[in-house]
Amino acid sequence: MSPNLPELLIGLAVSLLRPAPPEAGGDYAAGRVGLMASLLVLASQEAERGAAARIWENAAITELLGDTTSTPAHTTWSELDARNADLRRALIALHIAAEDRGDPELQGRILALYEAMAHARRLELPG
Amino acid sequence: MSLAAALAAYLTRVRETPTAVENLARISGGASRETYRFDAVSGAERLGLILRRDPRGSLIDTDRRVEFLAIASFEGKEVAAPRALWLEEEGAELERPFFIMSRVDGGAAAGPFAPDPYGPHARAIGERFFSIMGAIAREPLVGLPLAGAALAPSPGDCWKWELDHWTAVIDADETHPQPIVRAAIRRLRRDPPPPPARVSVVHGDLRSGNFLHDGAGRILAVLDWEMAHLGDPLEDLAWAMDPLWSRPGDPRVSGMVTPDEALDIWRAASGLEIGSKALDWWRLFASVKGQAIWTSAAKAWADGGMTEPILAFSGWFTARAQDQILSRRLAELGPL
Repeated sequence: MSPNLPELLIGLAVSLLRPAPPEAGGDYAAGRVGLMASLLVLASQEAERGAAARIWENAAITELLGDTTSTPAHTTWSELDARNADLRRALIALHIAAEDRGDPELQGRILALYEAMAHARRLELPG
Repeated sequence: MSLAAALAAYLTRVRETPTAVENLARISGGASRETYRFDAVSGAERLGLILRRDPRGSLIDTDRRVEFLAIASFEGKEVAAPRALWLEEEGAELERPFFIMSRVDGGAAAGPFAPDPYGPHARAIGERFFSIMGAIAREPLVGLPLAGAALAPSPGDCWKWELDHWTAVIDADETHPQPIVRAAIRRLRRDPPPPPARVSVVHGDLRSGNFLHDGAGRILAVLDWEMAHLGDPLEDLAWAMDPLWSRPGDPRVSGMVTPDEALDIWRAASGLEIGSKALDWWRLFASVKGQAIWTSAAKAWADGGMTEPILAFSGWFTARAQDQILSRRLAELGPL
């Protein structure tokens, strides 16, 4: 998943500071501000549950992989995302292997995990 | 030189008459090109025009010649395309490639995620929208400007060309592994769709939000032809039917008509049959294509200095929503 919350907040700050040319005012500027407001609302949802979603997803994939290796605790967004990228790559490989050997039980567990992962990372537009 | 001055200089040259530019204003009009409305004034003559200029970073790399010729292909026809006027692939006075087309006044485009975007006119808009889509599908390719610029796949290759293209986009632009869309791509490759009865023009992004309507049930113009190509006409139908364009809990396609009604209208307008296996394939593909576009948006946002909120929105909110749609569909389909 990209971008992450810290990047988004930096991006919003950059967008607010960027001078607009004269032809980009009026309705266009108003629409841009409205979009940034929506992004801030979504960012509040991510701030509330984004870290928990990553911690849960990393644990769920680790369990599915049967990985018993102990890993250091990850406490920042970038650490969580880096660990998540490793785990997702391993999950993709596991899914391909399950498809290739015709293992419907494992495929079913992986597909259920995908649904749960997408739900945990959901963002909801206001209104 | 300001954009208005550069535009005036260009129009004065190509029109061979002094031309002033008035009321130049950027508008929201697709994230792949900067879009501006303006008046070109020469003496007593005033033309309402639209400028589409390549940005420094964009949602998805598209060929402005193909977009220009796609619009030109449907000028004056039932499809309600604007009039394509000038194309400058080297940028000329504006320094970046652009084209100019006629402006259609008196209408508005709905936000793609707006609740109940067409209100009491939803059915009328839906009937017109899917009729236009069917008209695009039935348009003969012979002599069409777009057909001279876009490669035509064989009917049996339509699916592969598109899936290869959008998979390559994900391969190039992905910055974080995406197991859900990867699983969908593998499923699509293992079970291709039957070939279409004919290769057609595909608009490529025909959905709620990409047309102007008058607020009273009439569609005035179809916009955003930047992903136009030749292929299986079911691609457009499936894209418009993606659950992404409907509010959660609203059973209508893009807030217009029910899925069955949409299929009936399209079938009557296009004169083509809709095979369920083919439509199912293209509907899963639509979500893969969507995720590829949102993946590109995230990369374009980062590469462009994080200054365009629309790219952040597409690469974040829309990508998350698309993952929910894809994962739900994969679970319904079950193991391979």
